[in-house]
Amino acid sequence: MFFRKYGDIIVGIFYSALGAAVIYLAQQLPKSRVMKIGPDFMPMVIGTLILVLALMLLFSSIKNFKANAAKAEAMPADTSDYKRVLASLVLVVIYVNILAPVGFILSTLGYLFLQIFVLSPNDRRSPKNLLTYAIIDVVFVFVVFFLFRYGFKIVLPSGIFSL
Amino acid sequence: MGALSQLGAAALRVCEPTSLLLMIAGVAVGIIFGSIPGLSASMAVALFLPLTFSMSSSLGMNVLVAVYIGGISGGLISAILLNMPGTASSIATTFDGYPMAQKGEAMRALGVGIVFSFLGSIFSFVILTFFAPWLADVALKFSFPDNFGICFFALTMVAILSSGNMVKGLLAGMLGLVFALVGLAPIDGTARFTFGIPEMRGGFNTLTTLIGIFAVADILVSAETIGAGIKTIPVKKVKGFGFSIAELFKWTPGAIRAALIGTGIGILPGIGGSTSGMLAYVTAKNMSSHPETYGQGDPEGIVATECANNATIGGALIPLLVLGIPGDGVTAMMLGGFLIHGLSAGPLLFVKNADVVYGIFAACMICALIMLIVEWTCIKAFVQVLKVPKHILLPLILVLCAVGAYATNNRIFDVQSIVVFGVIGYLYHKFKLPTTPFVLCFLIGRMTEEYLRRGLQRFKTFGAFFNRPIFCVFFGIAVAVILWSVYKEFKASRAAKTQHEIIQEPTPINIDIENPDK
Repeated sequence: MFFRKYGDIIVGIFYSALGAAVIYLAQQLPKSRVMKIGPDFMPMVIGTLILVLALMLLFSSIKNFKANAAKAEAMPADTSDYKRVLASLVLVVIYVNILAPVGFILSTLGYLFLQIFVLSPNDRRSPKNLLTYAIIDVVFVFVVFFLFRYGFKIVLPSGIFSL
Repeated sequence: MGALSQLGAAALRVCEPTSLLLMIAGVAVGIIFGSIPGLSASMAVALFLPLTFSMSSSLGMNVLVAVYIGGISGGLISAILLNMPGTASSIATTFDGYPMAQKGEAMRALGVGIVFSFLGSIFSFVILTFFAPWLADVALKFSFPDNFGICFFALTMVAILSSGNMVKGLLAGMLGLVFALVGLAPIDGTARFTFGIPEMRGGFNTLTTLIGIFAVADILVSAETIGAGIKTIPVKKVKGFGFSIAELFKWTPGAIRAALIGTGIGILPGIGGSTSGMLAYVTAKNMSSHPETYGQGDPEGIVATECANNATIGGALIPLLVLGIPGDGVTAMMLGGFLIHGLSAGPLLFVKNADVVYGIFAACMICALIMLIVEWTCIKAFVQVLKVPKHILLPLILVLCAVGAYATNNRIFDVQSIVVFGVIGYLYHKFKLPTTPFVLCFLIGRMTEEYLRRGLQRFKTFGAFFNRPIFCVFFGIAVAVILWSVYKEFKASRAAKTQHEIIQEPTPINIDIENPDK
């Protein structure tokens, strides 16, 4: 509901800010002394284009706001499961950050199981299901590790214990 | 004819049992690397490079070619089945391949993709075999302004891709350009938008961007609805390759056009297969009599992309063999292979080591055939992936992606940046912004700037670019594309407005005039 009603306005505001920021940062860049266009040229062009386009979007969506809002109200309610989205995002963020210090095997063993659990529908969380997930988890992690380590000769972060 | 007899003799040598077996293995490994998002064709070639040390020079090069061909065509499998391009070359395959798979036509989509990959490769290899030295001369005529013209033309494709809501489409692409700016600027190496973080000086990697936008975002998007229950996608069985002779003839003109685009882009060093697939797709959509079916699961979309990205291989080998100039990461690895075996790629290669050159030509064609057979026999195995429930499959893919992202440069920063792009992909989905313009702009953005600035460095003023006919052609087409898209958008919104006046309901369509040719 929120995204349908205010989506375009938020996009417009975000991009206006982005455009302004890019222009501001581009001005901080040094000008080229040897040629007419330096490293600041492209950011300047892109920033200006973003700002113009964003203001156009903002203007047109504010103008049509009432009509769009009425349309959005008429649509069925948003049933998205944001709990699962948020949990997945948190898991991915943790995973990519512990991958190097903890090592591939341990971090992936943990991440994979939790991620499958988070994504699994409520009726697929019986102890038997969980056991299946755990087995998939362990087998997959070790297959990938050995395949990469010895098959593809790609050394994965070993972390706290080395193999 | 000299070329034909040399080719025949080389083909006989290539068909020896040992070489054939090694090539089959090479193609198979290439397909595996290509089909897993996060592992790329260049990684596969890098892996095989040391294995060719002990082989004869001819055999070694043939195996590398096998891996290259398998790696590029393998990308279509995950693109069709999982909506994740296995390699950057097959981004556009997802547009029609995935909708087809969702409709139960996965086997048909794979069949079409595999056959036209094969045809595209063969087309480019025939051109490579007979016209290589001549085409290399043409490639040498392309200078920085001309390459800038092509990149600029490719960027205007965003306008076509986002017809219907152009302002949002263009904005979606602009963010891609902003991300492409991050890192050291071309020529002078000024650090831009790095915020003092040393890792950001290298810029964002193409592969990690793709992984984030496709794989990570897909997990987040699926998480929204996955709790509602498990949907299984039906898979219709098909005979043969899943399409009729009549369809083959109907698609042929489009396929030839795509193969020409692919080979042409391949010949030009520094543009690459990811651009060629996308360009061929948009061209096909634009020239089609039914553009509205593209993106809904039209096999012609797959035909265009797969023909073009495989045709790029033959194209890319032309400057490599004739001039010793690698066009992209994979061909740079191949150049390494030449050096290992004491061959110097360049004009003399054809004189001194004609047997190796024709061996490569023959190996290309035979590997394309091996690719066709291997992938076709495995179609049934590939579609089994669709039977794995999504809540198990997606996390497994993400782990492979993270590993692939790490393996590219051994930088943990690359793994971390997939999250950033994943969140962008998810927000794009929520705010109904198209992701394709983002990807296209990100891929081409840095090249565009580099060629523009190198061109200016050499020719001093932008006006001097117009003395170059090749630049003029591409720039002209690009400007025409922009004007035409804006006109179409304007007309569509007019039509919508008159309609709404009748039914008294306002329209959400926006109009804009973009003028990027500053």
